[in-house]
Amino acid sequence: MKQNKSLLILAILTVALLAVYFLPLVIFAKHILILTLFYAFLGTGWNLMCGYAGRLSLGHAAFAAVGAYTSIFLFKEFNLTPWLGMFVGGGLAVLVMLLIAYPSFRFGLKGPYFTLASIAVAEIVHNLLIYGRDFTGGSLGLSLPYVPTSLAMFQFDGKELYYLVILAFWLLAVFLTIKMERTRYYLEAIREDEDAAAALGISVNKNLIAAACISAFLVAVGGTFYGQYFRYIDPYSIAGFSLSLNMALVVVIGGSGTIFGPTIGAFVLIPLTEILRMSLGSQYPGLHLFLYGILLVVCIIYLPKGIASLPGIIRARNDKKARQLDQGSEGVL
Amino acid sequence: MAEKILMVDNISKRFGGLQATDKVSFDVRAGEILGIIGPNGAGKSTLFNLITGFYPIDEGTITYHGERIDGLTPDQICHKGITRTFQVAKPFPGLTIADNILVACLPKADKVSDARAKVDEILKIVSLDKKAGSLGADLTTLERKRLELGKALATNPEILLLDEVMTGLKPKEMDDMMELIKELKKTKTIVIVEHVMRVIMNISDRIIVLDHGQKIAEGLPREIAENPLVIEAYLGRGAKNA
Amino acid sequence: MEMLLQIIASGLLLGGIYALLSVGLNLIFGVIKIVNLAHGDFLMMGMYATFFLFTLKDINPYVSVLIIFPAFVLVGVLIFRFIIKPLLGKAETEVNTIIATAGLGFVLQNLALMLWKSDFRAIETNLTGKSYEFAGIMLSAGRTWAFVICIAIALILYYILMKTKVGTHIRAVSQDTDAATLMGINVNRIYTLTFAAGIALVGAAGAIITPTFYVYPTVGLYFNTMAFIIVVLGGLGSFTGALIGGLLIGLVESFAGVMASSELAQVFSLLIFLFILFVKPEGIMGKGARV
Repeated sequence: MKQNKSLLILAILTVALLAVYFLPLVIFAKHILILTLFYAFLGTGWNLMCGYAGRLSLGHAAFAAVGAYTSIFLFKEFNLTPWLGMFVGGGLAVLVMLLIAYPSFRFGLKGPYFTLASIAVAEIVHNLLIYGRDFTGGSLGLSLPYVPTSLAMFQFDGKELYYLVILAFWLLAVFLTIKMERTRYYLEAIREDEDAAAALGISVNKNLIAAACISAFLVAVGGTFYGQYFRYIDPYSIAGFSLSLNMALVVVIGGSGTIFGPTIGAFVLIPLTEILRMSLGSQYPGLHLFLYGILLVVCIIYLPKGIASLPGIIRARNDKKARQLDQGSEGVL
Repeated sequence: MAEKILMVDNISKRFGGLQATDKVSFDVRAGEILGIIGPNGAGKSTLFNLITGFYPIDEGTITYHGERIDGLTPDQICHKGITRTFQVAKPFPGLTIADNILVACLPKADKVSDARAKVDEILKIVSLDKKAGSLGADLTTLERKRLELGKALATNPEILLLDEVMTGLKPKEMDDMMELIKELKKTKTIVIVEHVMRVIMNISDRIIVLDHGQKIAEGLPREIAENPLVIEAYLGRGAKNA
Repeated sequence: MEMLLQIIASGLLLGGIYALLSVGLNLIFGVIKIVNLAHGDFLMMGMYATFFLFTLKDINPYVSVLIIFPAFVLVGVLIFRFIIKPLLGKAETEVNTIIATAGLGFVLQNLALMLWKSDFRAIETNLTGKSYEFAGIMLSAGRTWAFVICIAIALILYYILMKTKVGTHIRAVSQDTDAATLMGINVNRIYTLTFAAGIALVGAAGAIITPTFYVYPTVGLYFNTMAFIIVVLGGLGSFTGALIGGLLIGLVESFAGVMASSELAQVFSLLIFLFILFVKPEGIMGKGARV
């Protein structure tokens, strides 16, 4: 998609989502919207490395955890505003990513090996969080000390302002993705054929590491938001495999390696499953996750490139039909 | 004599027990078409891999316009002005032909729009303009070869290294490709590895011959055709296998 | 000194269990070349099956292996046919199969959660709480029997792989599918067989360890991690590698668990895992090239 077209779509979506802010909605609906945009944001970050560059990471929760724990810890100990704590957390996440990404790419770790490594890293972070209970609260997690609505301290009573914040984050992430047009092409080339890309002048390592670090930073920022919104984090929610898988899920179903795929995926999945969780969750714990899993399996088999690929598939099928019709009429002659 | 722009001096490469390249030296002169021939396994593709940085050399030097390029990464060497094609064409399967070319134009373009502007022109040169929307995965062998060449051209190289572009083509297609290469010679220097003798003899200004990793002959096409060492390298091997 | 022997013994017992677990994963990973992230969750299912067979039908867990093994073969065949096979043979096979099996694992975990809730279950057999004494070391009865049976199954499997026609076919396919096809081997059938065998093995492993481990929906996650570490450590595609790797990791855990907390022990194993991945992904015994 050309940049201008994408920017236009982004503008329209943003206006629409802003308009929603003014609608009188039930609290639960607002919560769903926030959660949806949250996953759209995380997914967009994840997509940069894993969708475009094709290096599947199922351990990105590690970065969300680094972001969340850093900003909450700095707030509790030093009263540092989470806005700054967010950047510190993001910076730390980038460092962690560099620690893994550099040797991974240098040693040519690809495909399932890379994925396994990413899972291992997330597990390490998860375990360290439990072990370091003096700083992290261990299995019991960290609670965010309550502060009445304060922009400076990134806490709000009521959901409206959180919605605006996550909307802004999402907007920035998608905008960044659109603007990184050249890098996106490079990453796709690297995903398709690394050697061919290098032979054409594309620096494989530089681009991969850049994508990796940006994705780590964005997901870490998402972690901070999570902490500020839910006011509680623990190693199972923010550093667990579920979060990593959800990020991947949203992108895969929406359309991996596309600008709006993660957003589409989030809007399709999150409202559906949250409503399911609320209505049937107590009776059948895990039902919504169960359906997540089934959706993922079905999607990857029948629609591997996600919902975003549907227009292309339909178009191709119509082209094929049109061609057949042409040939058919010629044959009749 | 034209300027020597690429100088390969005594380069060697060993893979485990195999000496793939053995103290090979030659130079490439501006504006020429240099042919490289040799029996199978002679080390021709390895040579390209060494020059473009896909494998590191064990010894020797490679100098381009007076600057050492051995040790640089493939993308750096491409930026310097040397681009290679791959023997088995490597299209980007999930991207359209147009995007394949676009990606190739990008590294040397200041703005994405500049790169986009070049795509149609390149597609026309390699006769793929009608298939711009097809995916890289859905091409015929000939189309893949053309795309491979198109991508290389898109990087605007000074030296173009062509690795067996003729393999798998029908005679008429080969003629077309030869015409195209002769056209390209007007603006570029070309080093071409080939098996098809009539092609090499037809278009090369000079030829070097490799066998078992060593350079065994160098000279004008008709000199090479009459060189007893060359004949033995080819026919001798054929006689053994017969 | 006794303490050291005790730790080693416990480690080896645990290692034998890990070994059986990994052998199944190694088969799938080594032959079909896909990552089965749901492996541990099939273990969990095997454990639940054993639990219910014991509590509802009074069937001894070691006997229920005979029921669970064939049942899981069937399950494996179905899953291969409908989930794995459609994804094979394409450019994104590796990535897609990881995602698919991750989803499958999720499905299994949450199915268990929905049906049987998150309570920890345990069974009490005539072996529970009993220990055998051997040269001054105490060996948990349950773990000892688990070890014995796991090693027995592993040896049977080894024999099958090395000495039978089917085993040779499997090894051929894992080394070169094209050549195998040219030799007349039905690769698809071998894949199905291998996958089903892998699933059945891990289900059986679940049955064997139920007497000595708690059963809960996410019990598979820990074992899954361990299995992957072992498979990579021992070398992809190497049967003996998986065995040795299993015993090694069992030892490492036993030692680390004594010297530090269980979380650190895990971190230690994971760091070893990462190290192997970076430096020598072929593992100790493997010959497989880097992906």
